[in-house]
Amino acid sequence: MSEKSKKPSGISRRSLLKTGAAAAGAAIGSGAITGFPTIWAQNPITLRQIGTGVSNINAIAQKCKEDLGITLEMTALDSDSAAQRAVTQPNSYDIADIEYWILKKVFPAGVIQPMDTNKLTYYDQIVPLFKTGKLTPDSEIAQGTAPHTVGFVEGPDSKTFASGETEWFTMVPTIYNADTLGIRPDLVGRDITTWADILDPAFKGKTSILNIPSIGIMDAAMIMEAAGEITYADKGNMTKEEIDKTIDFMIKVKQDGQFRAFWKSFDESVNLMASGEVVIQSMWSPAVAAVRSKGIPCVYQPLKEGYRSWGGGLGLAAHLSGAELDAAYEYINWYTSGWVGGYLNRQGYYSACMETAKKFMSDDEWGYWIEGKPAQKDILSPEGKIMEKAGAVRDGGSFEERMGSVACWNSVMDEDRYMVRRWNEFIAS
Amino acid sequence: MVSEKRGREFYILLAFFCLFVLFLYGPLSAVFILSFQGPNGGLTFPLNGVSLHWFFNLFETQAVGDFGGSFARSFTLGLMVMVVTVVVSLLAGLAFRRKFRGATALFYLAIASLVVPSIIISLGIGVLFQQFGFQPAWYSSGFGAHLTWTLPFGVLIMFAVFNRFSPEYEEAARDLGATPWQSFVHVLLPMIAPSLIGVGLFGFTLSYDEFARTLMTSGTYNTLPLEIFGMTTNVTTPVLYALGTVTTLFSLLIIASTLGFIFYMNRRSRRK
Amino acid sequence: MSDAEANAPKAISPVRSFSIASLSAYLQALPLALILGAFLLLPIIMIAVVSFWDYDFARMYPDFVTFNYGETLGSWVTWKTYLNTLRYAAMVWAVTLVIGFWVAYFLAFHVKTATIQTVLFLICTVPFLTSNIIRMISWIPVLGRNGLINTALVDLGLIPAPIEWLLYSDFAVVLAMVHLYSLFMVVPIFNTMMRIDRSLVEAARDAGASGWQILTNVIIPLAKPGMAIGTIFVVTLVMADFITVQVMSGGQSASVALMMKNEMSLLQYPAAAANAVILLTLVLIMVAGILRVVDIRKEL
Repeated sequence: MSEKSKKPSGISRRSLLKTGAAAAGAAIGSGAITGFPTIWAQNPITLRQIGTGVSNINAIAQKCKEDLGITLEMTALDSDSAAQRAVTQPNSYDIADIEYWILKKVFPAGVIQPMDTNKLTYYDQIVPLFKTGKLTPDSEIAQGTAPHTVGFVEGPDSKTFASGETEWFTMVPTIYNADTLGIRPDLVGRDITTWADILDPAFKGKTSILNIPSIGIMDAAMIMEAAGEITYADKGNMTKEEIDKTIDFMIKVKQDGQFRAFWKSFDESVNLMASGEVVIQSMWSPAVAAVRSKGIPCVYQPLKEGYRSWGGGLGLAAHLSGAELDAAYEYINWYTSGWVGGYLNRQGYYSACMETAKKFMSDDEWGYWIEGKPAQKDILSPEGKIMEKAGAVRDGGSFEERMGSVACWNSVMDEDRYMVRRWNEFIAS
Repeated sequence: MVSEKRGREFYILLAFFCLFVLFLYGPLSAVFILSFQGPNGGLTFPLNGVSLHWFFNLFETQAVGDFGGSFARSFTLGLMVMVVTVVVSLLAGLAFRRKFRGATALFYLAIASLVVPSIIISLGIGVLFQQFGFQPAWYSSGFGAHLTWTLPFGVLIMFAVFNRFSPEYEEAARDLGATPWQSFVHVLLPMIAPSLIGVGLFGFTLSYDEFARTLMTSGTYNTLPLEIFGMTTNVTTPVLYALGTVTTLFSLLIIASTLGFIFYMNRRSRRK
Repeated sequence: MSDAEANAPKAISPVRSFSIASLSAYLQALPLALILGAFLLLPIIMIAVVSFWDYDFARMYPDFVTFNYGETLGSWVTWKTYLNTLRYAAMVWAVTLVIGFWVAYFLAFHVKTATIQTVLFLICTVPFLTSNIIRMISWIPVLGRNGLINTALVDLGLIPAPIEWLLYSDFAVVLAMVHLYSLFMVVPIFNTMMRIDRSLVEAARDAGASGWQILTNVIIPLAKPGMAIGTIFVVTLVMADFITVQVMSGGQSASVALMMKNEMSLLQYPAAAANAVILLTLVLIMVAGILRVVDIRKEL
C-alpha cells in the first residue's frame, strides 16, 4: 500500500524540482554586475579577499568598485577558517585579511608575499605601532606577538621575520583595537577596576571569556596576573610551567562555576551580554556598541592592568603577479587613503593611517572616537543609526590613552602545541 | 490492518506525536516570532517592537556576507548532488542485485563513507587537494565531499528497495518479450520511482545543510551555511531569523502545493 | 514465524549470459566506486599518512614519527573527551530511538489513510529543511536565562528564579542534538515498518495476540533493521559533532571533533590527523559491532 500511495506524490515532486531548477538558474543569472569601472574599465579585474566578518565589509567592496573599478569579492569566515584557508588553499584568495598573531604561522608557510614598501603610497603614515611597536617614541613595547615583530622580512623571498624595519612589509594593517572587559553597569552593581574582578564570587555563573585557544589563554593570563597568582615573563610566550599554572587555575575557576559560557563569535558575545546571561566578560568594542544600540547599558571598562590588544592586516597571496599584483597594490593604497579608515574608526576600531582617515571624519567624530572628547552631536554608525547620544565620552578615552596602555598582544606561543593540549583539557574539565 | 475502533493506544500515540511535532516546531516558532523584531531589536527576547524590517533587509546588501550568492551556490550544489546521488545510487543498486567481485568491499566502503566523521573528510580532501596542487571549489572538492555524505544514504535506500523487490515482475516482462532496457524503463523504473524521488530530496536537503564537510573544501566562495557562520563574526541581526522563517515557509509552500497536486491527480484518476 | 520470512534474501534473478551481466554490474558499480575512491578513500589515506608527519610552528614535514599518536593517546584529556563524546552519543541515541520508534509506529500503523500518512510525515521533515545552524541557534532564545521557558515559568510563579541549566549545559547539548538528528531515526524505522507485511499483524491478531504482544513479537523484531540503521546514523553524527557541542554548551564541554578543531585552528594538522585516525577507528569498530548484531545487507 505504501508503493501505491507514494506514487502520485512522486510525480508532483518531480515537476516541482524542475521549477526549483529554473529558479536556481534565475538566481544565478541575476547576479549582474552594476557600477561603472573607471580605471580598470579596459581590463576588468577581480580580487578575492578572505577574512573575518569583522573587516570584510560589503560597503568597502562597493566603495572600492566606485573609486577604483576593481571588483572585490569578499568572503566572510570565522577567524579559524580564515587562517586555515589562508594556509591550506593559497590559490583560493588574492588578498588575505588575517590577524597578526596567526600571521606568525601563516607567513612561514609561504602563502603570503611581502610588500615592497616603496610601492605603498601611505607607508610613512602608518601608525608607528606597526613599525617599531611603540605608539609614541617613549612608550613601552607590549608583550605577546606585537605586530611589528611579524611585520617585516629581509627580502622578497624571505620566510623568516626581520628583527627591525625593512623595505619588505608582510601585511598592511587594517584594523586593530585594545580589548578589555565589557560590563553591564546596571547588573554588576559596583566599580570594576581590574581584570581580576571577573573572579568575584558575586558574579558566579555570570562571566565569560573567549573560546579561541590562543586568545582565551591571553584573557586567562590577564586575569591571573591581575589576581596576583603569577607574574609572567611574557604572557604572549609562556613557558610550559606558566601554561600549566594558568590552565590549572582556570580549571579550578571553571569547576567552581564562575563562567556561564565561553564565546567564540562576535555574535555570541553580544547575545550573552544583551540577554543578561553574563554581566562581565571579555569583549570587543563594536560588540559593546551593538549591545548599547539595543538600548541596553554596557560599558567597555578600562582596567588598571591595561588592555589586551589585537590587529589584523591585508596580506598579498603569493600567487599574485602582473596586473593582479598591481591592482592589489592599488587596492591597498586606496585602503589606506582614508575612506576605509574613517569607516573603520566609526565602528570603534582603529585604522592604520590615522591622518588620512581624519579627512573622512567630521571633527565631532574624530573628537569622539579618537581624541576621547565628549560628542557634540549624536554619533552615528556607518549605517546612519544613532550609536551614542550627544555628550557621551568614549569608554577608555582617546586613541593614545587606549592604545598606549596595551599590556599584551594576542599571540601564538612557541609552546602552542602544548598550550592547545592543555586548553582542550580546560574545556574538557 | 488497523483495529477498527481507535483505542486508548491511538490517542496516547497521537499525543506523543503532537508533542514531537511541537518539539520540532517550538524553537522554530521562536525564530518565527523573533524575525518580526523591530528595526532595533536583537537576536534574543524581548521583542523590541514589531516590524517586517528584517524581511525586507533579507533582500538588501548586508553589512557583511552575501545571501544571494551563497544561496545560489548552495541551491545549485544541492541540485547537482541530488542528480548525481539519484543516478549513482540507482546504478549501484542495480549492480548489487548481482554478485560481483568486490561487492562486499564496495558496500562496506559506502557504509564507511557514512560513518567517517564529516570533519575528517573535510580535512582529508582539503589536505589532499593542497598536496596535489588542485584548486578546491564548492563545485569540485565541495561537490565530492557532499557526495560522500549523500551517496551512502542513497545506496542504502536502493539496497532496501531492491532487497524487497521481487524479480518476478521483470521476469514476467521478459517472458512477454521485453528487452532488458524496456523492462527497466517500463517495469522497474516506475515501481521504484517514489524511492528515487525520496533519495533525491534527501540528497538535496543533506547537501543544502552541510556544514562540516564544506568547511575546508569550499574553495573561494562560501555556501549558505558557511556564509551564515561567517556572518556571525560581525554584528548579526534578526535577518538570520527572517531567513529561517522564509526557508521554512517556502518548504511548507512546496509541501502544500505537492499535496494539492496529489488531491488533484487522485480526483482526476478516479474520474477516468 | 516472522524472522524467517524477513531474513530470507531475495533470489538474484537468473541471468542468461553471465559474463555480460557481470560486466554490466561492474559498470553500474563503477561510478560509486570512483567517487568514493577519490573523495573518501584517498583523503583518508592522506590523513593516515599525514598523521605520521612531523610539524613545527608553521609547516608539516613528510616523515615517519609516532609522537602524534603518543601525545594523543597518552593524555587523559583524550580519554575523558572520548568518554564525554560517547556519553552524548548514548544519551542522544536512547532518546532518538524512543522518539523515532513511537513516531514511526504511530505513522505506520495508526494513521489510516495514505494521504494523511504522507502529510504527517512531511510535517516531520519540514523543520529539517531549515539550516542546521539556524535551528540550533534558535534554541538559545528559548532556553536562556531570560528565554521563553524561564520567563514563562517565572511569570506563572512556578519557579522563583530562572533555571540555569537549561542553556549552556549537557542538557542543552543533548536537546539540540535530538532536535537536529531525530529525523535520521524516524525515517529508517518508518521505512522498515512500512514494509512489514500487514497480514502478519492480522494473523497474529487472529491468533489471539494482544496489541502489546503484536508489538513485541512481530513489529519490534521486524523493525530492528530500521533501528540499526537509525542507530548508525545518529551515533556517527553525534560522534563527529563539534558545532552543537560548542554552541550549546557555551564552549564548556569538549567533544572529540572539537578537540580536532582546536588543533586545526592552530594549523597543527598532523596532530589533528592522528586524532582523526583514532576517532575513525573507534567509530568503525562501533559500526562493525552494530553490523554484527544486524546484517544490514540482508535485512534492509
